[in-house]
Amino acid sequence: MSTPDTNLSSADTRVAEGPPMSAAAQRSTVQTITMLIRREFWEHRALWMAPLVIAVLLVACAFVVHIGPNAQRFWSDDSNRLALFGLTQWGLTVPQYLVMAIVLSFYLLDCMYVERKDRSILFWKSMPVSDAATVASKLLTALVVVPLGVYLLTVVTNLLFSVILITRGSLGGAPGLSAWDTVVWLKAEALVLYGVIVSAFWYAPMAAYLVLVSAWARRSVFLWATLPPLFAIIVERLAFGTRYVTGLIEYRTWGIWKAINLGHSMEHTMTHGDHHIPSLAGVFDTLHVSGPFLNIDLWLGLAVAAGFAFAAARIRRYRDDT
Amino acid sequence: MTAVIEARGLKKSYGSTTAVDSVSFAIQPGRIVGLIGPNGAGKTTLFKAILGLTQFDGELRVLGRDPRSERNELMQDVCFIADVAVLPRWLRVSQALDFVGGVHPRFDRSRATDFLAKTDIKMSSRVRELSKGMITQLHLALILAIDARLLVLDEPTLGLDLLFRRQFYDTLLNDYFDKQRTIVLTTHQVEEIENLLTDVIFINRGHVVLDSAVDSLPERYIQLTVTAEHAAQARQLRPFYEREVFGRVAMFFEGRAAAELGAATNGLGEMRTPSVADLFVAKMQRGVV
Repeated sequence: MSTPDTNLSSADTRVAEGPPMSAAAQRSTVQTITMLIRREFWEHRALWMAPLVIAVLLVACAFVVHIGPNAQRFWSDDSNRLALFGLTQWGLTVPQYLVMAIVLSFYLLDCMYVERKDRSILFWKSMPVSDAATVASKLLTALVVVPLGVYLLTVVTNLLFSVILITRGSLGGAPGLSAWDTVVWLKAEALVLYGVIVSAFWYAPMAAYLVLVSAWARRSVFLWATLPPLFAIIVERLAFGTRYVTGLIEYRTWGIWKAINLGHSMEHTMTHGDHHIPSLAGVFDTLHVSGPFLNIDLWLGLAVAAGFAFAAARIRRYRDDT
Repeated sequence: MTAVIEARGLKKSYGSTTAVDSVSFAIQPGRIVGLIGPNGAGKTTLFKAILGLTQFDGELRVLGRDPRSERNELMQDVCFIADVAVLPRWLRVSQALDFVGGVHPRFDRSRATDFLAKTDIKMSSRVRELSKGMITQLHLALILAIDARLLVLDEPTLGLDLLFRRQFYDTLLNDYFDKQRTIVLTTHQVEEIENLLTDVIFINRGHVVLDSAVDSLPERYIQLTVTAEHAAQARQLRPFYEREVFGRVAMFFEGRAAAELGAATNGLGEMRTPSVADLFVAKMQRGVV
């Protein structure tokens, strides 16, 4: 090992200005957050693997699903066929979004905890990335990127499913199955996309709560996420005999349907014997697009979400236990 | 000259324990500074303060910025490797390059790939598949490709074998260091790095015990090795620490005592400038007594 030249002249004062950096070399916030989101998909592979697995399973279902004589008789009615077609488009997305909700819940609980568990947090913090950008990247991943990705995947899955089913119907001598209506299809897809967009707003406080627990808990994130609400419910019941917390949680979980006002739209249903089939096209036609956004609860929830996210960023910034 | 790091009355307590107690020092650009102290001396706390990872009292400027409030801006110009800053095991080498390139404006990807090409590390490997030495090489490759002004290294070679350690410091010196940059590092293997240091800061129990350029150590410290029969006579010159080695006594003198001794050139024994490692032991042992 050689000894470095230690003869420093006063000319070295220019060092304080540092090496020049062109404006083009600066990283914008958008670039940084895009990189951070990519990082999330590297680390949490379930985010993209789970939807792909479900999609493959659904497409496989199209090959094996039973086409019986009852179905053919029922589908001989044109309006029923279209309603069912629309409903199928929607129903096929249900498993995707159910699995997505579970995967995202665990992801959010893990996302700020695992970097402390595997002690990589100081590596991430050695980069010029703010804690706010880090928290934002996690929330954007869970509320925007994954739901939109899953949505695009369901569009493709549904198309494949329909093509396979229609082909099977034609080949198997059941041409009545060849129900395809582009307008109904577009309306059904638009309705699901609308749901995805409203969900991003509606579920933001829940997502931000999980991120906060993930940033704060030193261990057992799952318990820390579930026990406080449970504790609050029990204490409230014992102390006041009320169910306010329960109601709040239920409202945040299912209230989105009320906010979109689907209950009202569900009246537009097709009936055939004992079957009641909501017509998605009908739901779409009577939808008040601005409805949920005029709901003060949606904005209150967003404000709470912003508070949780801010707290999570502060904890990551100032916690000192590494 | 504008100091890269300037601390005045820097203080940090954890509950009733004072980790760093009113420490003041300045580190100039273009230096390689060894921050040396026993376990629990406050080195890591000091580093965390410099890197904006902890709150503290007192004044601290790093590259002219306050690490408490300007951490994000500061991290554009500061890099650090700490034994506690671990690369995540799931990360692929190629992803590590993508990531740092994506968030760091001063990252030069080709420098990192050139460095990695000289190692056995494959682009497609995950960190979990690499040995400890290779992980440190990867981390070093990432850091050396960043055109930063201050590099902070906290026990960067902990747990590595001698070959990797030697290679680490050689790379640091030959491929990275120049007068535009400043390196501050800690290690317990003082002997291995004392040749590359330009400055040393000894810290013990939250206090700075010694802050000196290595060049000026000979003016301040003398080690006199005498035979047992001359020991009593030499002791009258007031050494601050002495140690018996193979029947001879090594005595350490500082300040005025050292200057007088140097002028006296008496034939008591063998005189030389103590090594940084010996000086460290002498300073720390005295602190205990």
